[in-house]
Amino acid sequence: MTILISFDIDGTLEVGDPPGVLTLDMMRIAQDKGFWIGSCSDRTLSGQRDLWELHEIRVDFVATKPMLPEIMSRFKADGYYHIGDREDLDKRYALAAGFEFLWPHEAVLMPWFLPEGSPETG
Amino acid sequence: MTTQHAPDSMYRSTEGLGIWEHRGKVAAVGIGHSPTARRWDETPETSMGAWSILALRRAMEDAGVSPDQVDGLVVVPETTTGANWPEGKALPMDVVNAFNTTSDPLDGVAQLSTEWLLKNMPELTNVKFTMYAPVCMSAALAVAAQAVGDGLTHTCLVLKSWHNLEGRYYQGGANAEDAIPGTPAIRNLWGAPASYGTALQFAEYCRKYGKTHDMMAPFMENSRRNGLMFPEGYWAQHRPERLTEEDYLVARWIAKPASLYDNDIPIMVSGAYLFTTAERAQSMKRKPVYILNHATSTTQPRSLTPTLDEVEEDTARTARKIYEGAGITAKDLSFENMYDGFSLFHQFHLEGLGYRGIKFGEALDFYQTDISIEGPNPVSPSGGNIGSGRSRFWMHTDCIQQLQGRAGDRQVTGVKPEIAVSGGPMPTGGSFTVWSATPD
Repeated sequence: MTILISFDIDGTLEVGDPPGVLTLDMMRIAQDKGFWIGSCSDRTLSGQRDLWELHEIRVDFVATKPMLPEIMSRFKADGYYHIGDREDLDKRYALAAGFEFLWPHEAVLMPWFLPEGSPETG
Repeated sequence: MTTQHAPDSMYRSTEGLGIWEHRGKVAAVGIGHSPTARRWDETPETSMGAWSILALRRAMEDAGVSPDQVDGLVVVPETTTGANWPEGKALPMDVVNAFNTTSDPLDGVAQLSTEWLLKNMPELTNVKFTMYAPVCMSAALAVAAQAVGDGLTHTCLVLKSWHNLEGRYYQGGANAEDAIPGTPAIRNLWGAPASYGTALQFAEYCRKYGKTHDMMAPFMENSRRNGLMFPEGYWAQHRPERLTEEDYLVARWIAKPASLYDNDIPIMVSGAYLFTTAERAQSMKRKPVYILNHATSTTQPRSLTPTLDEVEEDTARTARKIYEGAGITAKDLSFENMYDGFSLFHQFHLEGLGYRGIKFGEALDFYQTDISIEGPNPVSPSGGNIGSGRSRFWMHTDCIQQLQGRAGDRQVTGVKPEIAVSGGPMPTGGSFTVWSATPD
């Protein structure tokens, strides 16, 4: 089962401004588990690419908020999730594009982000 | 000392006034900037008041002027247009009490008085002239230039500061109330973003002249490029990210056809200049930049927001005032630094000026040519608000630095920096300054 996770940056990830609760290691863990991962932010596409290059994370996509439908059409997954901290700029865009939506404090509890072998993942 | 708002008579707001009586007799010498931040972290050291003091001290130091030589202070008391202190939010008393206070506890936090500044800058022992200017540095410069020219002050500090709080811009204050008194009740009823008026004008502009929003991309790219060479600015200091054509074209709409990057990013920053007489400037540390004229537009639109026709009429009228008082023509401009926060009205300013001979409807085509600092037709070498964040004063700093030959990596090389114009904010309401490397 393939899942695609779209991460907002500011207010969501630890490298955001303001910082959010999701860590880059969580992204790496999800990617290691075979998830499609990428960022969807108001930051420029070039700025997002530079950010991932700086942190040596090979994301599968970068996008702006209106590009979520395009991301869905590009990646064939069994589930699409967007994680963000804004009702208007994350939740609304995510639901309109057919994504499931998670607030950052909900997302950190997902087993996706637990290392293999953690008790919670069996 | 009670500080008054500058009277209307200090602004040159009508045509036919002739050459400015103080042309070339007033000069800018020193520049001082605070650091920038996206939002306030609620510590005393980074408060708007603390950064205002820092900017003023840096302007004096830059000019090589001791505090006791300063006898004038022109300040913009408003320090935001959209980050009001939230109703019910506790006052930051630790910050308030870290400074000498006035009767308003938000003085130095979310607004600024000359009283607060003078109480917290005991070194300013000889200030005898103080005055307020509304909202923007552009207005404060006009007031300070006129005051120095009129002999009300001979060594005058000019200050504009911005605070920015957590949360969303323009969501608090009157916009958060259930009812709004007066005309804004009609204008704000629909909750339109601040850029909607400019977006309407731009949409009409594109329809009238057959242009597209995409044609803005080279201007945006150029502005951010220049901003990243502005070490005093927000993007250069915190997020040195370029803005490519692709970045601009995929941005989400705020008020279509105004996209996210057509709106400037609110920040915290303070900027100050030291103005003096041309005579006194000779003995100061920096090369004087002479003021040839200041002009103001106070045009009231006929309806809720200006139409394109009104904008074009007014930018042309403003240009005539600018040139008339300075005794110059468009051909004399080495470069232009008109306001850009919202980016979609920069071309209105440009076309009104007739910069490099362009006429109404031609600016977006002009943007497709070489508008870089290396070329013969520099557009917004400061990068403006697009390039450095919402201060509304980068264009003034850049004009002074360019004419002093100390704009660093941003220094124009395709033209000799001799005469420049900067100002804003709106095409139908603002103040403008003509700067010159020589007094005549």
